[in-house]
Amino acid sequence: MTSIRYQRKSLKLAFMTMATLASVSLAGQIQAATLEVAIDSSPAGLDPHLITAFNSVVIVQSTVYEGLTAVQQDLSIGAGLASSWTVSDDSLTYEFTLPVGATFHDGSSVDAEDVAASLRRVQSADIASPLASRVSPITGITVVDAQTIRLSLDEPFAAILSSLAGIAIVPSEMETDKEGLQQTPVGTGPFMFDSWKPNSHISLVKFNDYRVDGLPTLDGVNVNFVPESATRQVGIGGGDYHLLPGIDPATALQLAANPMVTVQQTQNVSYTLLGMNTTRAPLDNAKTRQAINMLLNREEIIAGALFGSGVPAGPLSPALATWALDTSEFACYERDVESAKALLKEAGAEGAKISILVLPRQDAKDIAQVIQQQLAAGGIEVELQNKEIGEFVQDWKGSNFDMFVSANGGNPDPDGYFYRTFRSGGSTNVFKYSDSEIDGWLDEGRKLTDPAARKVVYDQVQRKLACEGPIAHLAYGNLSTAVSNKVGGFEIYSNGRLSSLLNATLSD
Amino acid sequence: MKAYVLKRLIDLGIVLLGMSLLVFLMIRLIPGDAVAIMLGANSEITDAGLNELRARLGLDQPILVQYWSWITHAVVGDFGTSIWTGRPVATEIAANLWPTLELTFLSVLVGGTLSIPLGCFMASNRGSLSEVVTRLVTITGLTIPSFWLGIVALFIAAKYLPGVSLLGYVPFSEDPLGNLQRMILPVIALSLPMLANLSRLVRSAMLDALNQDYTRTAKAKGASRRRVIYKHALSNALIPFVTSLGVSTGYLLGGAIVIEQVFAIPGLGRLVLGAIAERNYPLVQATILVMATGFVLINFVVDMLYFAIDPRVRDE
Repeated sequence: MTSIRYQRKSLKLAFMTMATLASVSLAGQIQAATLEVAIDSSPAGLDPHLITAFNSVVIVQSTVYEGLTAVQQDLSIGAGLASSWTVSDDSLTYEFTLPVGATFHDGSSVDAEDVAASLRRVQSADIASPLASRVSPITGITVVDAQTIRLSLDEPFAAILSSLAGIAIVPSEMETDKEGLQQTPVGTGPFMFDSWKPNSHISLVKFNDYRVDGLPTLDGVNVNFVPESATRQVGIGGGDYHLLPGIDPATALQLAANPMVTVQQTQNVSYTLLGMNTTRAPLDNAKTRQAINMLLNREEIIAGALFGSGVPAGPLSPALATWALDTSEFACYERDVESAKALLKEAGAEGAKISILVLPRQDAKDIAQVIQQQLAAGGIEVELQNKEIGEFVQDWKGSNFDMFVSANGGNPDPDGYFYRTFRSGGSTNVFKYSDSEIDGWLDEGRKLTDPAARKVVYDQVQRKLACEGPIAHLAYGNLSTAVSNKVGGFEIYSNGRLSSLLNATLSD
Repeated sequence: MKAYVLKRLIDLGIVLLGMSLLVFLMIRLIPGDAVAIMLGANSEITDAGLNELRARLGLDQPILVQYWSWITHAVVGDFGTSIWTGRPVATEIAANLWPTLELTFLSVLVGGTLSIPLGCFMASNRGSLSEVVTRLVTITGLTIPSFWLGIVALFIAAKYLPGVSLLGYVPFSEDPLGNLQRMILPVIALSLPMLANLSRLVRSAMLDALNQDYTRTAKAKGASRRRVIYKHALSNALIPFVTSLGVSTGYLLGGAIVIEQVFAIPGLGRLVLGAIAERNYPLVQATILVMATGFVLINFVVDMLYFAIDPRVRDE
């Protein structure tokens, strides 16, 4: 009897042990599917209305935050937070409908007042958002009911839907708060901010009340800050990281040979550029700028500095297929040293000494060196100024440069890029460029809603800017993102956003 | 001995005070200021906005006033708050301290411990083929910068050990194996140059000691070869070794800054690099002060070790 009892007891014990072991190993198997992303440095802040740096934007836009509309993979505009909208016949009134039951990450419900507050926040002079010019044509913001918001314009604004895609909707309490969101973002997107370990990573977790049932599939996303490109490369091969967004061409080339990794590439809407300060002689003269364009050999820059990955750039990316003119239409893109010298002579810029401020990034440094050689052929002596990022930004912002080499993000609508960059007083017009003809066209372009008529206007803009604008557009690189084979459902977007993390999966 | 310790402690205080002033001034001499960088590429910000932020951070005060305010708080352990995250600097440092400590400790342990037998081997087998080869290897070890060694080691490991996590940091208490696994490569990269340096030092100190009269006496009285080398010669050769160990440990802290970048370890080195780039003054000041304190403390410990190993110091 005792022995049977003893056996039972030990059996029971054995079962319990087995059960415990099983549950432990099970727990090991269904451990949280957290996707590990690696980027090169920590973001400066996470407030969606204040950030401009790629490292900030890539972390929060379309993951933590959503706009009323959203940019699709083919750069067309689809539904974002707003489920639908109507446009009045005169194109002056837009009415957006919000889904019922949508909530912010803090649990509060999303209603039209939050949308109104978010738009006012971006427009406010006190917040000083760099996105302000994207919504400046909106003159009336009316809360119709909790689910409906009406935006009115004084004049038609063709790019309004694509502009709204970049304006994150935040809780109305944040309207006048300049700091809260920088450290702790609160949005409506599929992932919720969890923690920020400076120097190490930001972790985002699945938002369980996301308005689309069953999404996102992942339990979370960790964005790791890994300064060394070699380390990121080894890390994705070894399984420490699953996704390296926006990698440089050299790394892309090497990772393409790794069987455990797929490098997804797309035409980039962002581009490398040579910016010119139009208040400084001899760059204030359009002829000098035209001559500089003639001295540049973009093919050589792409081959020498970008590992052959990219195409010569006009003012608009070929990714904007309906808008962009082919670079063969720009006469100054044909390298012509003699004509350039003649133009420089006319402009009184022979033997000019010009300094170039260089963005501290490898591709920019390489490009600047190639440019230095190319301009030397025309007798322009170039001094390169390599500064670290803080100083670069300060000089860039304060228009404290002759020229600079840098990279810019693009925009799916021509107005989104041109207006803030080239319009007199535009929010990122650090070149102090001011041209009444361009101003007129840009004002006209945002009022027209007929695509064909708009195209005519923006064709003129491109032709003029290409040769004598304050920016020599250099190259549209390929945007490359390395994806571990463990990741399913990730699709690269031309604007560099990680929008498709919504549907991404992770296997062992 | 008491007087000696007291004197060293006073020195320590003076060094730290000088250090703090130097760091305070230097970080402010780099062009670019925290406020402008913080507001980033936001081109619509006004001068009034900049000044408001400066005032809030106390950056509008004269530098010496800022220094006084900082140092008086620092002596009672209040290092202020990080400009960017708004968290107490002490918290940020504490969160990043452990990986660096562990990395340094393991590297010194490996490099220091192995260098003694290696140095003795080279000294006692002088001129043999195996000694020449070892010497060549140590010279190579000395000339290769540790960050390069780290990257190469990383690539080799990634090729032959795919799927093994070698990057980042997990606390020992959470996952001891994972912790050590991630420490192997950085420790190799950091300790090899140290091992090379120290073993060469042990070798020459040993050669010196082996030529001394007391060694000949020991041999003459019939002591075994092992006893001659490890008891008589080594105990004398250890004095320069300990000095050098202290200095190397200090340099190792510097090397750790780069190695932490390469292996994505969230330690003090990365903290201070990031803080410098952001002009995060309070964080830079406190982190460098902590590192300097570490350096000074190591030297202090070395001085104390002389008492243990050198009777001449003890009897002074």
